[in-house]
Amino acid sequence: MTDPNAIKNNPFKDLGEIPEKKYHDGYTLNSTYITVRDGVKIAATICLPKGLSPDEKIPTLLTQTRYWRAMELRIPFRWLFDSMITNAPNPEIVTSRGYALIYTDVRGTGASFGTRIIPFSEEEVKDGSDIVDWIITQPWSDGNVVSKGISYLATTAELFSGNNHRAIKAVMPGHGYWDPYTDVAFPGGCYDHAFMQMWSFLGKNLDLNSPKVFSQIMPEVWLFVKGVKPVSSDTDLKLLQDAINRHESNKYVYEHTLKRDFRDDKLPDGTVFDDISIFAQKEKIECSKVPILAWCSWYDSGYGDAIINRFMNLSNPMIAILGDWTHGAGLPANQFYPERTVVTPKPRDRINTWINFFDKCVYGDGIQGKMLYYYTLVEEEWKKTNVWPPLGHNYQKWYFSENYSLTREEPAIDVGADNYKINFRATTGRNNRWWALLGLPITYYDRNKVDEKLLCYTSQPFGSDTEITGQIILCLYMASTHEDGAVFAYFEDVDESGNVIYITDGEFRLIHRKILSTEPPYKMLTPYHSYKKVDSLPLIPGEITEVKFGLHATSVLIKKGHRIKIAIAGADKDTFIRYPTEGRPTITISRCKEFSSYIKIPIIKKE
Amino acid sequence: MEEIIPSLKGMLKDATIIKSDATRFEITITILNEIKGNVADPDEILVMLKMFGGLKEDVPMEIDINNETQIIELKFQNEEDFKKIQKIMETIWDDAVDMLEQASQGDFSRIKNVPNIDD
Repeated sequence: MTDPNAIKNNPFKDLGEIPEKKYHDGYTLNSTYITVRDGVKIAATICLPKGLSPDEKIPTLLTQTRYWRAMELRIPFRWLFDSMITNAPNPEIVTSRGYALIYTDVRGTGASFGTRIIPFSEEEVKDGSDIVDWIITQPWSDGNVVSKGISYLATTAELFSGNNHRAIKAVMPGHGYWDPYTDVAFPGGCYDHAFMQMWSFLGKNLDLNSPKVFSQIMPEVWLFVKGVKPVSSDTDLKLLQDAINRHESNKYVYEHTLKRDFRDDKLPDGTVFDDISIFAQKEKIECSKVPILAWCSWYDSGYGDAIINRFMNLSNPMIAILGDWTHGAGLPANQFYPERTVVTPKPRDRINTWINFFDKCVYGDGIQGKMLYYYTLVEEEWKKTNVWPPLGHNYQKWYFSENYSLTREEPAIDVGADNYKINFRATTGRNNRWWALLGLPITYYDRNKVDEKLLCYTSQPFGSDTEITGQIILCLYMASTHEDGAVFAYFEDVDESGNVIYITDGEFRLIHRKILSTEPPYKMLTPYHSYKKVDSLPLIPGEITEVKFGLHATSVLIKKGHRIKIAIAGADKDTFIRYPTEGRPTITISRCKEFSSYIKIPIIKKE
Repeated sequence: MEEIIPSLKGMLKDATIIKSDATRFEITITILNEIKGNVADPDEILVMLKMFGGLKEDVPMEIDINNETQIIELKFQNEEDFKKIQKIMETIWDDAVDMLEQASQGDFSRIKNVPNIDD
């Protein structure tokens, strides 16, 4: 098997060799409260290289989390380690490379004071600026601050750049959203019930310092962890208890989104999803001119699409990376190689590479222009491009045809349709791209068996190797017996032996099908649906309507002799809410001359 | 966390000395690593015995913790209670790390047997 590190265009190689350490191993660890503009105390842990002389000045790497900046361990493990840091990069590495590492609990969480009504509130973002003000007045600070994080911390890092603080030199969001409505909460307008419920449940328990939550979702952590780490001076834990008491007033998104449907539905403080998006802060982030290194995976929720949207829409100098691992790159996720057990490069090398990027921005000329590195599945190669879609991009239409086939020929017959009674037991299980946000592995096993419950169309074997890179567009001409419903579409590879491998998917709630001709809030390559109440259209039972939407972006090589398959479902029961809430619709997908359903696949033509 | 699990048994054994005095019904745990703050609270000792040692019932014991010397003394009223805890302490570090390792590999069978612990 090819060593992914050895092949050309590998972003981890392009970011440079790992230099000698500036400092010997070891760091000092302290924690304190930083008081921000409105008096709220933010818990911060500070790691400095051991042996830092009083006249030495160093840059700072800041991470801001809502998942406890550090954990107090149970005995006997506390007798071995002062604390466990799960949400910040390895302090040993960061400090040895000559950076101070500071990690904080965002307001309303962990050991910090304050309350939180919504995630990524304006006040939470402003806190980042106040923390920088504190950092640059420290005797060891050289006045430069960079920020990184994965998942929630990615978004705090990216929004942090929008503070336009002169000390902020670079940010690195890993596995972060661009558009929270479509990337995580309501992909295609379908409510990601599983994640939203679990995420809120986890958040509430963390904010109340209840480790028992882990016994249900991460038992190994429950065995190890007693609670959030108090700050050093809080020996009687009174400050911690006071902070936790204030978290009692926190609000959680699940309670406020469960009964909602639309992008413009209000969150508890009167804001809407767009207000906490990255795209809404585009002007501020661009104004900062801060270089961004954004990285993610094709397989992670809607966050792979977020990378592409970020790359197409932000003018900041940028390196963007799309690989084949799980959320946060803890595990491999390449469905074509399930035997793989480790992600390359390993976390230690990855962190060192990330610091190379920060070094360029702090000490060097930064980065110029934009470059997106993407990994092509099956071909197992990294590619790089400075435009999206990449050069050679061309759409190819494949029509739904008789005998459940996909063909290049447009239907010539006047009548042709397939009925499918929705099977509400259809599921991708709990190791799919959405559950992955909780840190779980990604495995779309037994697709042959799963597809038996679905309506499937399969092509003839391909005559040559074909690269598909970008977002597949699905266009269905369909009718339903009900006013509401959803379509879940799985795009798959079928090998010569008939084995079916998941490549990507897309989901779409049918009431959102209106395609708007007005300018979308950001540039996109898929049909623009507003997901707003005013644009919602219940289906008229029995009437054929056009439903056109994009699947999640991918890059894959379909090998000569393999076939492509599109499998249609009406539910994914372990992840999404059921549409409609009652009844069992039958959908009819047309495949005739007048109503020719198709998929449009983005082919990359070789030079 | 998975990276450190294999070395935890050795680290715990190197970091502690457990001694039993059968004549006085006493068990002492000495922590050799320098600990910032409190070595432990009495409640944490009970949680440890239940969580990792499989202790199901409440065993009367006096728990003295000296944060200066980093010595924890468990004193029992009778031989039966002393022996029960002594047996647990003989393998508790191995048991704790085994539970952790199993759980990190997705095997929660031993965790299911942990009695209710009110954190």
